[in-house]
Amino acid sequence: MDRRGFLKVSLGTGLAAAAVAGCSGSGGGPSGGGGDVTLRYAWWGNNIRQQNYTKALKQFSTANPSITIEPEFADYTAFQERMTTQIAARDVPDIFWIASPQVMTYHKSKLYRKLDDIPTLKWDDYSKEDLETFKLDGQLNTLPFGIFTPVIRYNETVATADGVTIPAEGPGWTWDALAELLVAYSKNNPGKRKGTPYAPDHDLTFEAWLRQRGEQLWTQDGQVGFTVDGLGSWLDWWEKLRKAGGALSLSEQEGMGPDWAQVGKKVLVNFGNSNHIIDDAKMFPKEKFRLRAAPIAAGAPAGHKYLYFPRMAIYQRIDDGNLEAAGKVLDYNVNNAEMLKTVRLTMGAPTNPKVAEQAAAFASPDEKEMLAVVAKERAAERKPRYEAPPGSSTWRTTMGRICEEIALGKTAVPAGAKKLVDEIGAGIKRAA
Amino acid sequence: MTSRSRFYLNRQGRAAHVFLIPWQLGFLLITAVPLLASLYLAFTNYDILNPPEWTGLENFQRMIHDDQFWASVRVTLIYVLVSVPLQLAFALLLALILDRGLSGLAFYRSAFYLPSLLGSSVAIAILWREIFGDDGLINKGLALIGIHGESWLQNPSTALATLIVLNVWTFGSPMVIFLAGLRQIPDELYEAARVDGAGIVKQFRHVTVPLLTPIIFFNLILQTIGAFQTFTQAHIISGGTGGPANSTLFYTLYIYQQGFVAFDMGYASALAWVLMAAIAVVTALHFLVSKYWVFYGDS
Repeated sequence: MDRRGFLKVSLGTGLAAAAVAGCSGSGGGPSGGGGDVTLRYAWWGNNIRQQNYTKALKQFSTANPSITIEPEFADYTAFQERMTTQIAARDVPDIFWIASPQVMTYHKSKLYRKLDDIPTLKWDDYSKEDLETFKLDGQLNTLPFGIFTPVIRYNETVATADGVTIPAEGPGWTWDALAELLVAYSKNNPGKRKGTPYAPDHDLTFEAWLRQRGEQLWTQDGQVGFTVDGLGSWLDWWEKLRKAGGALSLSEQEGMGPDWAQVGKKVLVNFGNSNHIIDDAKMFPKEKFRLRAAPIAAGAPAGHKYLYFPRMAIYQRIDDGNLEAAGKVLDYNVNNAEMLKTVRLTMGAPTNPKVAEQAAAFASPDEKEMLAVVAKERAAERKPRYEAPPGSSTWRTTMGRICEEIALGKTAVPAGAKKLVDEIGAGIKRAA
Repeated sequence: MTSRSRFYLNRQGRAAHVFLIPWQLGFLLITAVPLLASLYLAFTNYDILNPPEWTGLENFQRMIHDDQFWASVRVTLIYVLVSVPLQLAFALLLALILDRGLSGLAFYRSAFYLPSLLGSSVAIAILWREIFGDDGLINKGLALIGIHGESWLQNPSTALATLIVLNVWTFGSPMVIFLAGLRQIPDELYEAARVDGAGIVKQFRHVTVPLLTPIIFFNLILQTIGAFQTFTQAHIISGGTGGPANSTLFYTLYIYQQGFVAFDMGYASALAWVLMAAIAVVTALHFLVSKYWVFYGDS
């Protein structure tokens, strides 16, 4: 081949690549529809949640013909990426759900419009205490629309068949008792199941562990709320459980953050959020799942219980003319049980106590299980909890990586705990 | 040249420029401006939500003490150094076999090219999990002979190797280019070599390889640049974490983590420019060294 031939091949390949690249674009536009006000509504989830919410938003538009809603849906990770680019382009949806790591980051960036002056959004059903817990830095600018609590979910069908009794909540329901049960079960059960997936990176149960030891996840002034020792004790509990065979290995569960559809058939219990039972139980329709509140450490201080709220907000720069319509949409989301009949309770127990009561009437058995455990936690004494500060958005990814290193024997627990606290602290400092 | 023909050519030139305007606009808005913007952002602390804040060389200094950065450099270099030669060798081998005039050549060529089309897709990455996972095909095969294998994707010693295998498997694109190059080698040269008593190996060594060096060089450049930019497979297989224990933390995956997970766009931009500089240096070195081993027919 001569130089000219070489150039021909190069040019030809380049042009072909350019042609292929040129074909890869896609067009798009608003979903359209009639109405005087058009609002963009952004949320995340799986395809079932997408279908349910799309249907519910259509029902809303049918009942309110002057309001058209353009749905913007994505999977949780993609949702955050899209929000980031939308924020950079100042093209934020009028109403959007807020991923937990971003609550205070968006607040600091003044993305939320205040909600307590919108006539179409009613707050009458909420107690003063509720409203206080909803606020960020004393401002009612986000709307909690569900409640999650940390739970242990167990497979009652398998437990019954294998002759295992999960202790009732009370003095015997401790972390040590749970670990003993999981190890003993893993050693001797006919299905060769393990006690639990390896899940030290599960945030809600980790937070429960910390609060039971007088620590917290985040402080009010936006710093790491736990010590190296506090984190180390949690990681140590998991490491002992894993080494004793009470938890799946990373290989068995294909890495951190395992897929429940894959590991559900390999374990007796799972550490999770109370709302997860609704979608997860459906993956094993022949089996019955039950919930227990997280175990309680001896000497846990009063007020250690807590509720986690997923939140939504109205964009600060929303057109004034669209504000009342947006308030109406938010009101429909939290103060109207009709919407829940369509979307179900995958986003947790309703924050509106009256709606929670109404929901119990049409809830499925799994949803009732979730409502019961949340109601109990809601009734308990609770000290305040604070949202993740700016700069901490990757803390769970970092925690997963360090837990993985510990399980693989590449890092010891104390060193891993220190590394995690240092890395989170550095991120917060950079964002300050 | 007459004034009339000059006018004609000028008119053609103007028309060419008019037709190029859409491309030029696209290049300017989609490539050049973001490129320059990212160069500026590389020297700032920018979280997207707030205006960028000038920090000078801080982002570049941060890399020196960043363990994750060095882990990603290590993984990417191993991947480039191992997977590119393997892939090219495999592609050349298949091209040589196909060049021998097999019946059904068109079918085989298409079949071998298929993985190249699918190689960066999510579906293939998922398929890889089904093959190399704890309950995957390989471990099921091993179980038949009494060996209990663990997940190849969750073992830090083997996870990267599975991605290298995936890259080698997508040999179709360089193979087609090799095949085109082989077709351009004149048959007379082989005949002459045979007359001189050269066997297949000698013909390959003294005829095929020298005349194919421009194509080898071309594929080497393309595949090296592509390997430096590997992202999708690692993202899907590790769930975006680069695990286990950073063993699949490719450089581009780390850029993505910083930019779109941590929203640290300033640092992500700095990382991207370091990658671009590294690719430019490696490519320049390839060109410098090429004069010692690449043989053009007219030189």
